[in-house]
Amino acid sequence: MTAGHWPLPTAPELSEEARALATGTAEHPIHPEHTPTGQLAFGVFFQGVNSSTIWRLPESGDQVAWESFESLIRTAERGKFAAFFLGEGLRLREHRGVPFELDVAGRPDAQTLLSALAAVTSKIGLVATQNTTFNDPVDLARRLQTLDLLSGGRAGWNIVTTDNAWTGENFRRGGYLDHADRYTHAEAFVQVAEQFWRGEKISHDGAHYTVRAEGTLPRSAQGRPTLFQAGASPAGQDFAARTSDVIFSPHASLSAAVDFRRSIVERTVAAGRDAGAVKILPGAEIVLAETEQEADEKVRWVRDLQIGPEQAIALLEQYWGRDLSEFDPEGPLPDVPPEVEESGVTRGAGFQYAKAEELTRTWREEAKEKGQNILEFARVKSGARRGEFTGSYDAVADRLAEYAALGAIDGLNITPWLIPSGLDDIVDHLIPRLQERGVYPEDYAGDTLRENLGLPPL
Amino acid sequence: MTVAATTEKENSAPVTTTDAPTTDSAAAAGAASDAQGRTLPVLAVDLVTTPELLGSLAELARGLEDAGVGALTLSDGGLHPIHVASHLAPLTRSVGLLPRTDAIYVEPFHLATQLMSLDHISHGRAGWLLLAETDPAVPPTVGRELLSLEQTAREAADVLAAARLVWDSWADDAVVRDTEKGLYFDASRLQYADARAETFSVRGPAITPRSPQGLLPVLVADTDREAVGEAATAAADGRVLDVDLAAGADAVRSALETALSGAEDGQAGEGQPALRLVRLTGLDLDADPLGTVQALAADLRAAGLIAPVPSAGVDLRTQLGLAPAPHVADPVRRSDRARLTSKESA
Repeated sequence: MTAGHWPLPTAPELSEEARALATGTAEHPIHPEHTPTGQLAFGVFFQGVNSSTIWRLPESGDQVAWESFESLIRTAERGKFAAFFLGEGLRLREHRGVPFELDVAGRPDAQTLLSALAAVTSKIGLVATQNTTFNDPVDLARRLQTLDLLSGGRAGWNIVTTDNAWTGENFRRGGYLDHADRYTHAEAFVQVAEQFWRGEKISHDGAHYTVRAEGTLPRSAQGRPTLFQAGASPAGQDFAARTSDVIFSPHASLSAAVDFRRSIVERTVAAGRDAGAVKILPGAEIVLAETEQEADEKVRWVRDLQIGPEQAIALLEQYWGRDLSEFDPEGPLPDVPPEVEESGVTRGAGFQYAKAEELTRTWREEAKEKGQNILEFARVKSGARRGEFTGSYDAVADRLAEYAALGAIDGLNITPWLIPSGLDDIVDHLIPRLQERGVYPEDYAGDTLRENLGLPPL
Repeated sequence: MTVAATTEKENSAPVTTTDAPTTDSAAAAGAASDAQGRTLPVLAVDLVTTPELLGSLAELARGLEDAGVGALTLSDGGLHPIHVASHLAPLTRSVGLLPRTDAIYVEPFHLATQLMSLDHISHGRAGWLLLAETDPAVPPTVGRELLSLEQTAREAADVLAAARLVWDSWADDAVVRDTEKGLYFDASRLQYADARAETFSVRGPAITPRSPQGLLPVLVADTDREAVGEAATAAADGRVLDVDLAAGADAVRSALETALSGAEDGQAGEGQPALRLVRLTGLDLDADPLGTVQALAADLRAAGLIAPVPSAGVDLRTQLGLAPAPHVADPVRRSDRARLTSKESA
């Protein structure tokens, strides 16, 4: 134990690592104003367009068929999941000027689908990722409130921002928003939505448009849709601390999760809200097996299916900005220079612009040093490693119980690598073990998403 | 709308119903027709999406389906009509689901995506009752000025054309799942919408693969025709006769008889779109709505004035007597043309 002022905890499940990360007291291990609930909530993210959902297996379901969504959400509700998430597509991802053909692509509209799923479920939350840049606030607020009313208070909105003109080509306003303004704009957007949900008269004169409207729908059972936010940048964290109920985070390792919790608690308190007002759900992939060794083998098998030779070459092409199809995926990284002006073209969310010249040189050196071929290198670069939540059922359950005891996270937003059966082993084998450890609910706490996330009433 | 000329022509060809009898397509599609070979309209009941409807919505929709109604239209009463239609999809089996929703003060890309998603969710039972909003309270909600009637009509036609281009942007077989080549889909079977109108443009392709019907049936209610305008009405797949239930069963029957007899040449007179749907409005939820509709449906059906009860698994186009909408590929818009160009120059 390195943190001298933290008394020996009574919770025996804490590892040395967890004790080392704690800086407070047993009741408030991370921040003096934050008390861990000791409970976890799970969400499931049916991703749509992405590279982690395996489509090559015979048991990979149709990515658009109603039956796939219905099947997955029924499993999630059987496992007492708090929420079911759908992403938003605003433009089909492209690679070198052509729609990107190697990954799962194409999905139904999130809220249209969630409105239907509301009819076949009764407890699970229904959360749509919706962009503040290419939606109109009153239209979106009304749609979300409709979903909230249709589902009896189970709607959620994952607030995201985009600003690129490439996406804007599908919309009336085009690329009208500067990157620097995206959170200011998002905050004004959310304010208009909240006025609409409160049934107020809206008179908004903003930098980008004026809105005159009036909320006319009744409040839902949870008051308004639950607000999620995904931006982990300092601006995104501040936005979440002021505005959101839940923040997604990319920080799944215990130490990163503890740091992130501390940062969010500080910002939330500074914004005048309760230290636990913003729940934290890191995105996670879970790969489980009976034993540790089997889990290791399984994760390698999953990675091989996620990143095949074609995906590996395409990943490099994205940074090289040129056709690399003549290179052997089993050979060394390409020794040709990148076409700088071509690389870093928009492929949609998740694909960052990179300084191609410098990056490709660094990568060549790195791969050479580690003796990796293109395929091995690409698997590592796409996060294709053993995840935080890979292992035997018992090991993963123990690990999650430790996160809960420390209060590092409030749960996980799980991305299944297989649709629609990807939650089966989690629900059948992991959740019972978490319930035995007292960190996962035996049943839903209530009928609304707020209740099932442990959020206080509005 | 300055869409590539060939495209527009090809795209609108299968759905032009203004000057040709529709009996051939109806017969081909296997839709109901009477002794004179006329396609019979489908009976629809209009539900107004007020929050008060929430408690009885599921029961009402199922009851109306059981009462022999062929379609439900969802008029905007506060709750979003597309969401309500979608909510009803898994609760029903065979009725058509047609939100009556605005084309003007919306994002055309979102609207097209939402409607084609409804078609996926309902397994091909989705349609669009095209509305062109003229209520001056609506445009300020999206920061716009109210358009004139002429502008409104022009934009309605443009949005309809754009929606069809988005719907038609994936071929049926675009998702190939070719494990050998590692291809999830084949970009050569996708095309950009490239819809360019006066007030908006949509690049595409759709973010959603082709829906079961490909092109959703688009209908215009008689009460909306003035605002929707001639061009969009002519481009639509048919008209909707509106009858107020409050007028009584005899009035409904007589209105339908008049409408059917008024177009002896197969319903589609000059400049008159084919009658595809008869929409009962003003359903009184307090006065045995299911009993009223059941009796009326039985009466109209016995008199040979409406199409038979729809069968599960048959799509709305077929129920309405519309021919299937094949994907029309346009080489100029194909989405892998950048790859073709780069190969040519190499």
